[in-house]
Amino acid sequence: MRPYKVLLFIAAVMACLAALCEVLPGRVAWGEKELRWPTLADVIETKDNGQGTMDNLVDTIIEPIDTIVELTDTIAAKDTIVPEKPKPVIPKVAVDSVTDSRLFLAAFYEALDHADGQMIRVLHYGDSQIEEDRMSQQIREKLQAQYGGRGAGLLPLAQTIPSRTVRQELWMNDRKITPAQGPRRYLVYGPKRDQRTDGMYGVMGQVAMMNDSLVKGSEAITAACTPLDGRPRYTQWKVFADTSIHYSFAGDTVYLSGKGKVYGLSQQSSTGVIVDNIPMRGCLGLVFTKMDRELLTRFYREQNVRLIIMQFGGNAIPSNQNPGTIQGIVKGLREQVRYIRECAPDASILFIGPSDMLTQTDGEWHTYPMVPYMDRLLRKMALEENIAYFSLYRWMGGAGSMARWQEIGLAGSDGVHFMRSGARKAGNAVADWILSGRTAKGEQTDEVNSESEVVE
Amino acid sequence: MSFWEHIFAFNEESPLLFTQFYFWAFFALVYALFALIMAKSEGSKAKVDGQVSNGRLHLRNVYLLFVSWFFYYKTSGLFLLILAFITISDWLIAGRIKASGEGRKAKAWLCLSVVIDLGLLAYFKYAYFFTNMVNDLFGTGFRVFDIFAYVGNGFAGAGRFSVDTIILPVGISFYIFQVISYTADVFHRRIQPVKNILDFGFYVSFFPQLVAGPIVRAEEFIPQLYKPFRLSRRAFGIAVFWILNGLAKKIIMSDYLAVNLIDRVFDNPLLFSGFENLFALFAYSLQVYADFSGYTDIAIGVAMLMGFYLPMNFNSPYKSQSPQEFWRRWHMSLGRWLKTYLYIPLGGNRQIGFGTYFWLSLIAFVSAALTGWWVWILVPFGVFMAGVFVWNKWMSRKGDASIESRKLLYANLNSFITQVLGGLWHGASWNFIIWGGINGIGMIVEKIWRKMGWHVRFASITILTAGLCVADYTTNLPAWRLFAVWAAIIWVGTAIRYVYWLCEGSDNRFTKAMGTAWAIVQTFTFITFTRLFFRSSSNLDPETANEVAWATAKNMVNQIGGAWSNAIIPDFLWEYRWVVAMFVAGMVIHWLPTNWKRRYRLAFSAMPLWLMVIAVCVAIVVIYQFVTADMQPFIYFQF
Repeated sequence: MRPYKVLLFIAAVMACLAALCEVLPGRVAWGEKELRWPTLADVIETKDNGQGTMDNLVDTIIEPIDTIVELTDTIAAKDTIVPEKPKPVIPKVAVDSVTDSRLFLAAFYEALDHADGQMIRVLHYGDSQIEEDRMSQQIREKLQAQYGGRGAGLLPLAQTIPSRTVRQELWMNDRKITPAQGPRRYLVYGPKRDQRTDGMYGVMGQVAMMNDSLVKGSEAITAACTPLDGRPRYTQWKVFADTSIHYSFAGDTVYLSGKGKVYGLSQQSSTGVIVDNIPMRGCLGLVFTKMDRELLTRFYREQNVRLIIMQFGGNAIPSNQNPGTIQGIVKGLREQVRYIRECAPDASILFIGPSDMLTQTDGEWHTYPMVPYMDRLLRKMALEENIAYFSLYRWMGGAGSMARWQEIGLAGSDGVHFMRSGARKAGNAVADWILSGRTAKGEQTDEVNSESEVVE
Repeated sequence: MSFWEHIFAFNEESPLLFTQFYFWAFFALVYALFALIMAKSEGSKAKVDGQVSNGRLHLRNVYLLFVSWFFYYKTSGLFLLILAFITISDWLIAGRIKASGEGRKAKAWLCLSVVIDLGLLAYFKYAYFFTNMVNDLFGTGFRVFDIFAYVGNGFAGAGRFSVDTIILPVGISFYIFQVISYTADVFHRRIQPVKNILDFGFYVSFFPQLVAGPIVRAEEFIPQLYKPFRLSRRAFGIAVFWILNGLAKKIIMSDYLAVNLIDRVFDNPLLFSGFENLFALFAYSLQVYADFSGYTDIAIGVAMLMGFYLPMNFNSPYKSQSPQEFWRRWHMSLGRWLKTYLYIPLGGNRQIGFGTYFWLSLIAFVSAALTGWWVWILVPFGVFMAGVFVWNKWMSRKGDASIESRKLLYANLNSFITQVLGGLWHGASWNFIIWGGINGIGMIVEKIWRKMGWHVRFASITILTAGLCVADYTTNLPAWRLFAVWAAIIWVGTAIRYVYWLCEGSDNRFTKAMGTAWAIVQTFTFITFTRLFFRSSSNLDPETANEVAWATAKNMVNQIGGAWSNAIIPDFLWEYRWVVAMFVAGMVIHWLPTNWKRRYRLAFSAMPLWLMVIAVCVAIVVIYQFVTADMQPFIYFQF
């Protein structure tokens, strides 16, 4: 076959495809699906996705949070560029444009300033975004660097997900076992079969039953919890368990025996700040009201919990495209906040909203339409409840920022989770934001009252 | 960036990829001028007895050389200078080798060529590896320094290029191997040196295979430079088929699986259950194949349209019944290269000499240095090597009586070295060494297994399975559980065949077919598990690559061996039904009999041209439905 014929063939194919570009209007309905085909303009013009150069992206990412707080309205406008399709009807939310919500951390700052050698505890609850001690680790490091304190804080009896901070191994009657082979574990955020009816979960939302009649015997449990290299050593062990559980320590190992509930272990110091990482995989954050009020109240009081960080909302996004459902979830979260406050009246509460999250439609990555909506609702809820709010979504750069994070290796390919480097960056940002609020505390305290009037 | 800038200006963010429209626009333009050149040559009086004049061929070669250089510039920018340097240097040296006859002088020129070529490869690919190793060994704090960037800054102004990082030029591993094959072939007088440097440059840089192979040996390609354009009607149809086949493999199979499952699981294995991790691992095996073979299918098709024939690079590798067969079917051009220029010079199955001892010692030394297990590695290695040396001397005295045993030893040692160095060719990090090593060991074990009688086979696998079960029970580590389960599965298969052998004595057609299927599944599983170490996020900084690859492999093994979660399997299969369907379809197509594939290829190529145009358009529309937003680079570009 002669080359000119090959050339004609190539030209014929290109002509046909170009004709298709003219004939097909971008998408053609085909049953329930759509047939995609680009227009000629899509093919020839290089797309400018508005993301700018990598330098600009980094600038966006590290934009100071203070600026972002002031930019609520402009960012809300920016959000509208995201959902090209589908376009659910999203009700408008009246978002205030005034406040620096760190004012609601005033009690926590007070506690830090007047610790007088007391230990102060910070609990960081969250979904899979904080697994492996992500984000909590940076918050811990920064707070402990400034106010003292050592140790990783609370640990479950059996480590089902590795942590970057402590490596745990479990032994039963001198035989190394996997967590699944250990004492029966109940999770408040687990499937039905793993839940309890009496709400006795402990502050971590989980409990391990030693010598539970439902499972194999667990007469003697040994948990080795080794802090990973480079971490300052903790100075004391604590075991949160029924009084029927006997325990002793040797180095990084704790020995337990008896029959009863083990709510958690803790490697900590007797002074300074202890930051506990409490990940709840797949959890919407609507579980706290299922946990025994008395148990929580006692722990929060006895352990001097002065700040509770709640980082939820992300798990509601992928399966809910309906604004009504999102409103319902936020309403449920409001209940959780109130419940926590009742259990821990002395503690400040900080809510961290979901990060930007991507979904793929017709091969294109988009921010889930409900992310900005949920972020605004959460912020509104937080301010109405007088708790601090950190918008991870806005701090990242708003709609589409997760795609940029992916490009520079900060986020995973699922468009939802951070890579370790991304989690480190986010954790540092949250910690800095908390700490810088304390510096500004003196100047702003007077505004708290007036601010609360502004909030709807 | 405008349409024309996209095609003609260098932008590292938008190289010319086979999967993008811009490449095909570029190719159409290139082909238009190509057709003009060839049309003139066909119509000219210079065509005598079917032979096109050398002038026309030369013009075609020069034209395609510059097109190829432009293509490389679009992909790698100023690294084009490295390609040009290698071209000039090896062309000159090959000329000196020819002029020097067969003596030491020729050998010295060959050595010089290899030193320059491998030196450049080592500089760009292994600088981080060596720097890290030296730092680990001596506690120093050296950092890499890019001398080329430093020199470049001298011309372009300070700060134009970063001297703190060394960037790997795309495709350097492929074209370096090509030029080595050229000088070696000239030295061994398998080919005559190319007289015209531009023709030689064309051989080195031919754009369809420049950045990811197939690695074309000089003796296969250079004769084609002097042959007239020849493309039969059927060959044209086959070429179009290969291009479509490659695009479908890459976009429908590879990218779809990667974006919708594999990348997510490998990014964070702990978020997924053991079953999901296992499925993603198998899917990754298919992805790598679809990705790489998709690229070479397109390269072969594009080259054929211009009248050049590239060697086959894949032959349904997952149909292999043993690791050895797998490596004969996978990345065949690299396998042939390693066999010709490494395995055979080492002695093949005929001897072991200085090269064998040297490379084994070096591998042991590097392993000890990287792990810090000096005593645990070097002492057993020393004992092993001493044993090999003594055994070899002793058996050599027996002459031909021991030839079979010696052949087995020689072949195993030399093929192990070849596999490890083949692994190292892919990347300068620990995980690639492990990957190559596991493949080497797999080949050795399989060879020994085949030589065993049924009694010994059954006894061996029984002992191994029992040992692994004990290890699993005592340590309770997921890795041991994984090995124990796998061994138990092999034990069941072996037991069935053993009992059958005891009762019947020989295989019938049915049991042979079952045996073949069993061997294929086991080989696929073995190769899939080696991929745990193959997938690395970085090819440059071994520290990062090792950490990421090791953590990923460890977490995946932990999940597969420790967090299986049967309850989640139905949910997973339903939620990921399209991914599962794609994987199953991919494997079924892969395992179709070769004759069937040949038939539908021929049927496609025999279509009338008008029908072929329609078929191509329909195929492209279908493929387009699977295009993802992000550019998914070909996996083998990083090598």
